[in-house]
Amino acid sequence: MLMEIFSCLFFFFFRSMNVFLIVYLCILISKALINTVLKYVWQSEPFRDEPWYNQKTEPERKRNLFLRAFTDFLAFMVLFNYIIPVSMYVTVEMQKFLGSYFLTWDEEMFDEDTGEGPLVNTSDLNEELGQIEYVFTDKTGTLTENNMEFVECCIEGHVYVPHVICNGQILHDCTGIDMIDSSPGGSGKEREDLFFRALCLCHTVQVKDDDSVDGLKKNQLSRRSCIYISSSPDEVALVEGIQRLGYTYLRLKDNFMEILNRENNIEKFELLEVLSFDSVRRRMSVIVRSSTGDIFLFCKGADSSIFPRVKEGKIDQIRSRVERNAVEGLRTLCVAYKKLTAEEYSNAQKLLQNAKLALQDREKKLAEVYEKIERDFILLGATAVEDRLQEKAADTIEALQKAGIKVWVLTGDKMETAAATCYACKLFRRNTQILELTTKKIEEQSLHDVLFDLSKTVLRHNGSLTRDTFSGLSTDMQDYGLIIDGAALSLIMKPRQDGSSGNYRELFLEICRNCSAVLCCRMAPLQKAQIVKLIKLSKEHPITLAIGDGANDVSMILEAHVGIGIIGKEGRQAARNSDYAIPKFKHLKKMLLVHGHFYYVRISELVQYFFYKNVCFIFPQFLYQFFCGFSQQTLYDTAYLTLYNISFTSLPILLYGLMEQHVSADTLKREPSLYRDVAKNALLRWRAFIYWTFLGVFDAVVFFFGAYFLFDNTIVTSNGQMFGNWTFGTLVFTVLVFTVTLKLALDTHYWTWINHFMIWGSLVFYIVFSLLWGGIIWPFLNYQRMYYVFMQMLSSGPAWLGIILLITVSLLPDVLKKVLCRQLWPTATERIQNASRHCREHISEFTPLACLKSPRYRSSDCSNSPARRSNSHSKKMMFTHWRGIDYSVLPSVFGYSNKHCRSSAGYRYSGSGLETSV
Amino acid sequence: MRRERSGVNKQYSFPTVRTQGEETRPSRCPDNSAFKQQKLPAWKPQLSTATVLPGFFLTGAFCLAVGVCLILSANSVRDVQIDYSDKCSDCSKFRENSSNWNKECHCSVNFTLKEDILGDVFMYYGLQNFYQNHRRYVISRSDAQLLGRNVNSYCAPFTAYRNGTPMAPCGAIANSMFNDTIDLFYNLNSSAIQVPVLKTGNSWWTDKNVKFRNPKSYNLSSAFAGTARPPYWHKPVYLLDEEDERNNGYVNEDLIIWMRVSAFATFRNLYRRVKRIRQFADGLPAGNYTFRIAYNFPVTKFKGRKHVILSTVVWSGGSNPFLGIAYVVSGTAATLTGFVITAIHLKLRKKKTYFQK
Repeated sequence: MLMEIFSCLFFFFFRSMNVFLIVYLCILISKALINTVLKYVWQSEPFRDEPWYNQKTEPERKRNLFLRAFTDFLAFMVLFNYIIPVSMYVTVEMQKFLGSYFLTWDEEMFDEDTGEGPLVNTSDLNEELGQIEYVFTDKTGTLTENNMEFVECCIEGHVYVPHVICNGQILHDCTGIDMIDSSPGGSGKEREDLFFRALCLCHTVQVKDDDSVDGLKKNQLSRRSCIYISSSPDEVALVEGIQRLGYTYLRLKDNFMEILNRENNIEKFELLEVLSFDSVRRRMSVIVRSSTGDIFLFCKGADSSIFPRVKEGKIDQIRSRVERNAVEGLRTLCVAYKKLTAEEYSNAQKLLQNAKLALQDREKKLAEVYEKIERDFILLGATAVEDRLQEKAADTIEALQKAGIKVWVLTGDKMETAAATCYACKLFRRNTQILELTTKKIEEQSLHDVLFDLSKTVLRHNGSLTRDTFSGLSTDMQDYGLIIDGAALSLIMKPRQDGSSGNYRELFLEICRNCSAVLCCRMAPLQKAQIVKLIKLSKEHPITLAIGDGANDVSMILEAHVGIGIIGKEGRQAARNSDYAIPKFKHLKKMLLVHGHFYYVRISELVQYFFYKNVCFIFPQFLYQFFCGFSQQTLYDTAYLTLYNISFTSLPILLYGLMEQHVSADTLKREPSLYRDVAKNALLRWRAFIYWTFLGVFDAVVFFFGAYFLFDNTIVTSNGQMFGNWTFGTLVFTVLVFTVTLKLALDTHYWTWINHFMIWGSLVFYIVFSLLWGGIIWPFLNYQRMYYVFMQMLSSGPAWLGIILLITVSLLPDVLKKVLCRQLWPTATERIQNASRHCREHISEFTPLACLKSPRYRSSDCSNSPARRSNSHSKKMMFTHWRGIDYSVLPSVFGYSNKHCRSSAGYRYSGSGLETSV
Repeated sequence: MRRERSGVNKQYSFPTVRTQGEETRPSRCPDNSAFKQQKLPAWKPQLSTATVLPGFFLTGAFCLAVGVCLILSANSVRDVQIDYSDKCSDCSKFRENSSNWNKECHCSVNFTLKEDILGDVFMYYGLQNFYQNHRRYVISRSDAQLLGRNVNSYCAPFTAYRNGTPMAPCGAIANSMFNDTIDLFYNLNSSAIQVPVLKTGNSWWTDKNVKFRNPKSYNLSSAFAGTARPPYWHKPVYLLDEEDERNNGYVNEDLIIWMRVSAFATFRNLYRRVKRIRQFADGLPAGNYTFRIAYNFPVTKFKGRKHVILSTVVWSGGSNPFLGIAYVVSGTAATLTGFVITAIHLKLRKKKTYFQK
């Protein structure tokens, strides 16, 4: 028995449960000790120790006192061992195992496109899904589709949108161009042609035929069969986008680039030079000679590197368009050209040749040459490419943040790209003040200074504002977003020489803790794991979740408490190493907010209820020892002792653990802030645990002393006959089974027919079993003590009245506590329950919003709906919202968006962040 | 234009047509049953104030009503309890010395009934401080033997004598059977009339007819041949009731009643019922009575007391006020709680409407 307990203690992961178990173990041991000691105190008088009617056997008399005391102690341990609910482990394991099927069965988490549903690789962590405090997510492939798409181009201020946008797939009807502005004039037409050619030529994309046999031919006929390959998905997206606008890049053959123009004619350009991309210049150029002999230099690059070099073109219009696109989280590129005369070209070629051949400082010299050549451009236009966020990624992240979960993006990408994505998926908002902790900044100042500055900024603000963690809205305070890169991180993590190694780490953690969102870019896979570990081992020991799709995320997935793999395009390595695998990032929302919440609520009730019902079960037994001379006499019959946890009370709670929905799944999904109600192990804290234990003790005292006073040296029947000790025990046990089952019935908020069946069924089973157990002289038993005990009890009126009274008295305080708590200190969940109830009742009288009575919740709920609505708006719509100045005239219902705008005076990161997203 | 990616080199292949998924989809697609989607139709009760308040008031009213009925009916119960353990001081002293175990000691206890006790009158003996529920005592019995089978295990330390003769019935419970005989006399005009009593029908019917059986034989003494009486008994088991064959041996009701061990150290057992004939047809009339007791059962050694009790019984049992009081108290508590909740509810609602304006 004890071995079992200890082995369970070690193998069981559930943190608070183990602590509770230790408490109960202490209670068990102290109960046994108290009883042993009292037994010997009580027995010290010989007339009690061995009265004439109750003599000891010879061996008993001869036994050593200490040995006797020890056996007594062990006997008490056996008597009270039910207080350690061993059956709880079985039930918990079953609940987890069976419960995880609901996850895999969930239709909403099934992805039609890939034909994949969620996978559960371990069911041990179900309830941790409801406790997540940190989500570490990979970017590419997780937040984004990993699939760039050309969204629009702007030529001379005219916006062109490809007709059909279809998730990276090229469609047949790609001839049309949606002209948003009026068609351009003559010079515009020329520029337009140039622009498309520039995009078709200025890249390093290679063409690979799908079918090697008749590839080229097929390529010309059907555009679908060719595949573009490039080290940059953006280039592919651009070339593809242009293809949809009518210009197809066919191949590079013998240094000639072939393109198919809108009239289905093949144009050939001789590729003269490629001024390749580097991250300092943030642009690339090609020099080509057209079939007519003109030499062009086409350049595309980040707006910040193009605009200064432009001498002509509609700069203002294009700049505004670029800025607008950048704000929307699109990657923007500007395209410019210049016409070279033959003379200019030969100069340039000479310079390039020299630089390329230089033996020393070749890089530097090349850069100088590039600088010389790439100037005096004529601006053509700009493009916008989207690394399409996964469907509902922003919605998901927003929901997670509202749920009080801190989302960290860990990516190998560079800062600008990552930051753009973070804006796009609402990880950073407009009003988020961005703190940078990057190599560049550390170069300027020492790491020490940077860290201290940042922490000062963060802490100063927090000090002045009290944090309202339960309001569901943290928008009152300044949001901080932190951007850190791999190099800076390794500096922080590096132990310092002077011994105070933990110092920076602590400071860094302190900063992170106060940031609502953190972006870590340029992370090596191991660094991702390092970050997760750092947070995991920080002093609050938060529950972490890592989600990723690629092999590079495996280390992080393994490190976090809960690892989730996206069943993505990059193989199943992540999915295989994870605890759970889901098809898309958006499924994380339902997984945490709905399933995680349910699992947590269910298991915490299950654990608490198990402790409760065993306290109720064993405490009368303990009290009975005071009345039977501490002789280890059991109160209940052996069959009742054995079957109590196995069949009388086990199935309803198991079913509760599988089915309970205290609020509907839709509500949980709609109100992410409900997740905060269960955050930080709220339902398994000491207060709840002590409440349950005291409730158990109270109920046990009611059962025992109620029955005691009922039986107290008087007649309980109406025919004058007397009842014995087994009737007494059976009465207590009957009250116990009914109370404990009805207590669960009171806690059940979701009564399906199965619940009805189980709860009433187990009560009926108890009665039927008792009738049967007492109805027959069992031939294999050497005692017949239960014979007709139950039926005799039922035939007595006072026993019925006593049972009814005791059940009522033990249930009423819990009902009272529930009602009072609900009335006076309702949790968000209960408000929602109330509100939905209210809405149902008065649907004709009130609008749904008006019936949310509580002022506090009303604010958050009202602000949720417009926010949700704006999500579904197109991004352009959002933009106008943000930009509008007339916010103040919006009704206060829009408080949510209001708050966002009020603090938009903060550092606008977006401008500088997105221009560099090349 | 180059972008750097972390980790594995990712291959970009565009466009790709996803055919694989469509093929495998039907097999992996989850069932749409309401159970699997956790969308079974359900009743969703909430413990809100509105639903609970009527509950509290109803419970309160119900408990109060039942409680008042119980108290009223319990008040009509007559209960006369006489402690006779020290009434005959010589007898109690006499019994302290175990060498006198087989000598008789008689004891008379007089008492007066000021008013009639009407209805069925039950006579109980009560013991105090007698731990019938001590584990060692409780397990020392053999139900199989009492069923008439010839097994007497589990009876330690009263299984058999040293010479191997088994005890019948065996075990500490049977051995310590209450063996005072109590007779009730009605003193009418200096003549004492013995109140007629019933010895049978006092135990559970099932005990008498199923659970306790004499061993089968042509007569009782032969059925118990080869066994001996328990050491503390005066006579063997087949002589427990020499007048009534059906109340003798293991099916003797005094034995049966004694064998049902009590839950607590203070208890009473049904001993006799007053037979309602002649002047006792309505119960016991007021007057002077005498208990004539053969004082056999020693209680002073374990500092116990013994009583003889005359009591009537109503539908709600004996003279126990507990149930009635408990019902009244919990009824009052529930009603008061109901009022408190109403008050809080109204107050909060006022506040809320205030806020909403």
